[in-house]
Amino acid sequence: MGKVGKFAKVLAYTFLTVGACLMILPFLWMLLTSFKTVAESTSMNPFVFFPNTVKWINYLEVIEKNNFVAFYYNTFAMILFRVICSLLFSAMAAYAFARLQFPGRNFLFGIVLFQMMVPTQIFIIPQYLMVDALGMRNTIFALVFPGIVSAFGTFLLRQFFLNLPKELEEAAKLDGCNIGQTFVRIMLPLTRSGLIALGIFTSLFAFKDMMWPLIINTSTESATLSSALAKIQSAISVHYPELMAASVLAIWPMLLIFMVFQKQFVEGISTSGGKL
Amino acid sequence: MNNIISTRKKVSKSKLNMWLWGWFMVAPTMIGLIFLNIIPIFQTIYLSLFKSGDFGRGNIFVGFDNYIRMFGDAQVWHAVANTLLYTLLVVPFSVVFSIIIAVLLNGKIKGKSFFRTIYFIPMMAAPAAVTMVWRWLYNPQFGLINYVLNRLGLDSVKWTTDPQVALIAISIIGIWSIVGYNMVLLLASLKEIPRDYYEASEIDGASKMQQFFVVTLPLLTPTLFFVSVTTIIQSMQVFDVIYMMIDVANPAYENTVSLVYLFYNNSFKYMDKGYGSSIVVLLLVIIMIITYIQLKAEKKWVNYM
Amino acid sequence: MKNKVLLLMLVFVLSLTALTACAGNKNTSPANNENKQTEAPKQTGKDSDTSNNKGDVTLRYAVWDSNQAKGLRVMADEFEAANPGIKINIEVIGWSDYWTMLEAGATGGSLPDVFWMHSNEIYRYASNGMLMNLNDQIGSSSKVDLSKFPQGIVQIYNFEDKQYGVPKDFDTIGLWYNKTLFDAAKLSYPDETWTWDDLYNAAKALTKDGVYGMLAPLHNQEGYYNFVYQNGGTIITDDKKSGYDDPKTIEALEYYVKFVRDGLSPEVYADSERAEALQNGVVAMGLFGSWNLAGFTANEFLAKNFDVAVLPKQAKQASIYNGLAHSIAHNTEHPEEAWKFVEYLGSKEGQDKQAQLGVAISAYEGAADLWVSSNTTFNVKAFVDMVKYGVIRPYSNTTIVWEDKAYEALKSAFGGKESVEAAAKKAAAAMNQSLEAE
Repeated sequence: MGKVGKFAKVLAYTFLTVGACLMILPFLWMLLTSFKTVAESTSMNPFVFFPNTVKWINYLEVIEKNNFVAFYYNTFAMILFRVICSLLFSAMAAYAFARLQFPGRNFLFGIVLFQMMVPTQIFIIPQYLMVDALGMRNTIFALVFPGIVSAFGTFLLRQFFLNLPKELEEAAKLDGCNIGQTFVRIMLPLTRSGLIALGIFTSLFAFKDMMWPLIINTSTESATLSSALAKIQSAISVHYPELMAASVLAIWPMLLIFMVFQKQFVEGISTSGGKL
Repeated sequence: MNNIISTRKKVSKSKLNMWLWGWFMVAPTMIGLIFLNIIPIFQTIYLSLFKSGDFGRGNIFVGFDNYIRMFGDAQVWHAVANTLLYTLLVVPFSVVFSIIIAVLLNGKIKGKSFFRTIYFIPMMAAPAAVTMVWRWLYNPQFGLINYVLNRLGLDSVKWTTDPQVALIAISIIGIWSIVGYNMVLLLASLKEIPRDYYEASEIDGASKMQQFFVVTLPLLTPTLFFVSVTTIIQSMQVFDVIYMMIDVANPAYENTVSLVYLFYNNSFKYMDKGYGSSIVVLLLVIIMIITYIQLKAEKKWVNYM
Repeated sequence: MKNKVLLLMLVFVLSLTALTACAGNKNTSPANNENKQTEAPKQTGKDSDTSNNKGDVTLRYAVWDSNQAKGLRVMADEFEAANPGIKINIEVIGWSDYWTMLEAGATGGSLPDVFWMHSNEIYRYASNGMLMNLNDQIGSSSKVDLSKFPQGIVQIYNFEDKQYGVPKDFDTIGLWYNKTLFDAAKLSYPDETWTWDDLYNAAKALTKDGVYGMLAPLHNQEGYYNFVYQNGGTIITDDKKSGYDDPKTIEALEYYVKFVRDGLSPEVYADSERAEALQNGVVAMGLFGSWNLAGFTANEFLAKNFDVAVLPKQAKQASIYNGLAHSIAHNTEHPEEAWKFVEYLGSKEGQDKQAQLGVAISAYEGAADLWVSSNTTFNVKAFVDMVKYGVIRPYSNTTIVWEDKAYEALKSAFGGKESVEAAAKKAAAAMNQSLEAE
């Protein structure tokens, strides 16, 4: 039995390590390329994995040419508002869809699902026209706009609410809580991991959304990290090291956010609902 | 008599209360979705009945002409087949991989948060970096993969231009980039499983393997349902990677072009928005059928507490 | 539309009050609420570009090539200094997103005031009245003289006798070659005397040790188009018919495909792989346009080993050339200021400046020579020399559609699965079908 356990453990570590190596490859590549010369970065024959000398100049050039402070500010303002909106509205709607009976529930949930089935590209021009009609191009509001509500988040949190035991609500009802109180006090804390996951995804999707900020926020100061990156990419089309330096500059805050929040998973139910 | 009426009134009052709460709580999301998404969707469906003019003007009503043209367009059927095949390759593999990884990372493993971060990285990498790396890996002359194959005494493969393998090459990127997403979701729901359940099964003398199948898997089903619905939808909408790796001039174009790619080309490149819209409608219908089947099947395999 | 946002904000705030009140957290809820309420307007206030001094006019100037942005900024600064009260806001968006943005802007009535126009798109914008007719302005201007520009480029932007753009620059295609490999093989460098045979023989001599002599990708502008016109063939006839079934065109395509079929060129289809092949020393020669100059100059390997020459000739000399123009939105709020800026950009002064700064090859007569001295790494004069016999990149009202159709038809010939003639005939049929639908 012990031997089998040890063997399983070795297998698990091997599996995870091999997988991890594959996963980290693009990031490692990005980091290494950001320190290379142009010739090193495009050379495949012979293939150059490690740069000859570390070229910090790539970073300096990119920082000098671009206003990263503005990009960080815009990106984080966008992420902040999108996360607040999507967590709040999605949690409310998800709870109603999962736990409450009301006329039109299935139909309305059908609309939520329906939205997810449509490729996002079709929304760009109609949403552009709306923001334009409001005279809101080149603002943080414009960046937040398509993410004010989230069908994805509603569907995700609904699954988490569905999985909570029914007895909880009955107990809360006996304690004299109304539906809103039950939701906020009892149910919401129990879906903590789901909320964190949604927060991470919302930030990530917002961060990666490139086409919308490119088109709606055309002035340089109102760009987000990813739209600025796309612009930098077209500017330095073959200067891969500078492009990768810009990518590293764009990515590290996201990495940090994830590293901080993924720790929350470890807590999970053991702290919030352990009494179950 | 009086009594009955009063109780009925009472019931309907609490019911009404629930209705009001329900409507109130879904209202912000629904209003937002209707304006931001549902109206544009119906505009798209409407537009599919027109030969679109430029800049939203001068649309000419053509009835179902776009659809008739679509059904006779071999490229559309290639795209349907490619899209379905891609989904069939990506969804099962990515879901199985992510379950294994999530369960391993939920167990007693050293460096958990390190691994979690690493598995999540592909989702964060900028598209430019992702394409560059994979182009290098797949490069026919001096890519890493062919280098390894040659070392093993195998022939080189034209990963991105051979019509037989290009879709597989694209699917590998798809699996690679979605594993982290599924893993995070599954981890989140693994953490919600109360410890008592495991303790109870341990007392019953269940092995780790039995625990997985008896406790973990059934309790994961709500999230698995979500994961499978969303990954299928995402896979059906595959666009970015194909768009960045396969040009129209590529010999493997016919064997890799997806429905969204075709829609994009028609709507945004060739400015034939009416035809592009009809392709979106076809995609929508296919996704709706698949999702409907999944919703029907939900009751059969998904366990809610 | 405004109602909707108000409604959303209202719901947002309401739901917060409702929820926190339910939870009974009376202590913290007011603070929370205030936060949210102050944050909501903040998102709308920041970065809005309406905060100009009275009387100041800000022009939006949209371009797609960020390589040029720096130089254009210098020019805009000069213009601003000479024209107090006008500010130029340069907006850079990459090629494909540029057109999506412009499309959305045209549909919604919010086009940039001044923007770049391209031969692929001019028809849609001009025929739909999206651009300002500049006939009167040009007629009464003492600075813009269209006769000083290559007439081919002027004509692109002329629709039904109305001029919708003032030429900005031009580009041609050059033959890039690896000097080091030429020296090692003791071959003389390509020059204006080269014929197709010289090119083929050089490619053959250079193909060894894993290096291909030539790069013949499935690419039109930086590829077979040039050979088609050198051979006296055509891609599109004057009466808007496909030229792919012209025997001269087929002959040129056969010559071009032969490089691939004879193993003198790798089989390259993807756009990105073309430059990669050059940068990795996989090919000794290749056709690339003048717009690659900035990138190629930045690459140490290319700067050290490569140079550029004019294209070879067959029946005649030819190089595909194309040029951009500056257009003004039909509904700009500042037509006079916008014209002032376009006038400056199209004047001798502006064009000379653009060339000196190395931004692009200015289209104005004589200005190109100034551009030549802006780059000393390569023999860039070749690009200017080719203008005399340059052929405007073939275009019609829906250029992109039939260009893609031609690619789809021709790739089987490149892969050796079909004869060039059969593939070219297919391309012609598909292209004619698309041209008829215009």
